[in-house]
Amino acid sequence: MPHSERHEELVAAMALGVQLDDADRSELDRHLAEGCARCEALLLELREASTALAAQAPAVRPPDALRARILSSLGPARVPAKPESPVFARMLAAAAVLLLLIVSMDDARLRRQREELRSQSAELASRLQSAESALAERTLRARVLESDDVQMLMLGGKGPQPDASGRVFWSPKARRGVIVAANLAPLPSDRQYELWVFQKGKPVSAGVFDVDPQGRALFESTQFPEAEAQNFAVTIEPRGGVPAPTGPIVLVGNPAA
Amino acid sequence: MSQTREDPDRALMARIEARDADALAALYDRYGGRLLGLAQRILGRGGEAEEVLQEVFLFAWKSAATFDPSRGTVRTWLLIATRSRSIDRLRSRRSSSRPEVRSLEEVAVNPAAPDDVEASSSDREWETLCRAAVGDLPDDQRRALELAYFEGLTHQEIAARTATPLGTVKTRVRLGLMKLRERMRPYLGSGSDAS
Repeated sequence: MPHSERHEELVAAMALGVQLDDADRSELDRHLAEGCARCEALLLELREASTALAAQAPAVRPPDALRARILSSLGPARVPAKPESPVFARMLAAAAVLLLLIVSMDDARLRRQREELRSQSAELASRLQSAESALAERTLRARVLESDDVQMLMLGGKGPQPDASGRVFWSPKARRGVIVAANLAPLPSDRQYELWVFQKGKPVSAGVFDVDPQGRALFESTQFPEAEAQNFAVTIEPRGGVPAPTGPIVLVGNPAA
Repeated sequence: MSQTREDPDRALMARIEARDADALAALYDRYGGRLLGLAQRILGRGGEAEEVLQEVFLFAWKSAATFDPSRGTVRTWLLIATRSRSIDRLRSRRSSSRPEVRSLEEVAVNPAAPDDVEASSSDREWETLCRAAVGDLPDDQRRALELAYFEGLTHQEIAARTATPLGTVKTRVRLGLMKLRERMRPYLGSGSDAS
């Protein structure tokens, strides 16, 4: 849809942090996903401009104790470890991964959403800490997303499934990775998708996964090889997986991405 | 982004990313008062505003790597983080049907003693420009923006609150923000350079 005043209205609301209803929100998402450069630029400028309102609230001197409290709560080592329900930890971790999933489902939503996602994931982690759920936080951090060495590679559809798409987020240090994929075809019950990590030009299995009825997959692998991953691919293999790929490649990374 | 290239904030963010706690302290000393003022304007003077401040600096500490200077200044990044957390709390207060803790009194009796807060001259310049920009808006546009920004109202809620047609509210928000953008030009980043 071409750029219109109506879009500027929605962009203004978003920049100001006004909650949009679902219809408006998806209209704006669609428009931005179509790559309206004007609205992208406008959004950034209006966000910056909206902070003029913040200056209407006078600055105040924070209590000294608050400064001390904040600064002493920074180091992860200094956060008191409290036993926390593993279920809670898993839910939070799942929520963070779900954010990834939601965004990755729609490749067209571009940079803006990826960035939101990154900050949302980070924010979730930060909220964890402020809730002092140290275990949950450690779990989440350990789970790739919060790794300081997290990397991402886009995968594109290939062969029998040109529309498939996916992304791999992984941490070489943690030897873990998460693949989120969309538009994969459901498979017969004796088949599964298998994720391959290429190291030194050779594929190493990182595990098998299934897709949901919508063709989406979210799979966390703890079987990443120690060496630097050079590329990723997904093939269709017999259920349970095989040590070396035998089936057709449906997703493969673009090393240039 | 010439504006921010000279900005010491970016160097601070780089140091924070490298886990330099002194850099976070410096960021706090620069913006803590401004951010607490904003949180208190939204939430009142209770402990919640201070909790928000703490969350925001923890967020800055842990997520410095997600700060992208091509998408805005550090100040904007922090203000947006503060505003959105404050509004979240305000909304959850409302939805949990707790009585509105924040009374007019609380808002009005927040006299700020601005002299009490050390601000660099660049912060003062920014503040002066902001005040002038907002002050020069037509009353109805300013009111609509303030209701959205400080009270987290939706278009519909602003329309109801001000007994104004919905379409008019949307227009006021758009026009008001566009005018602020024109006035705030000197502080806008790459977007304005690029276009």
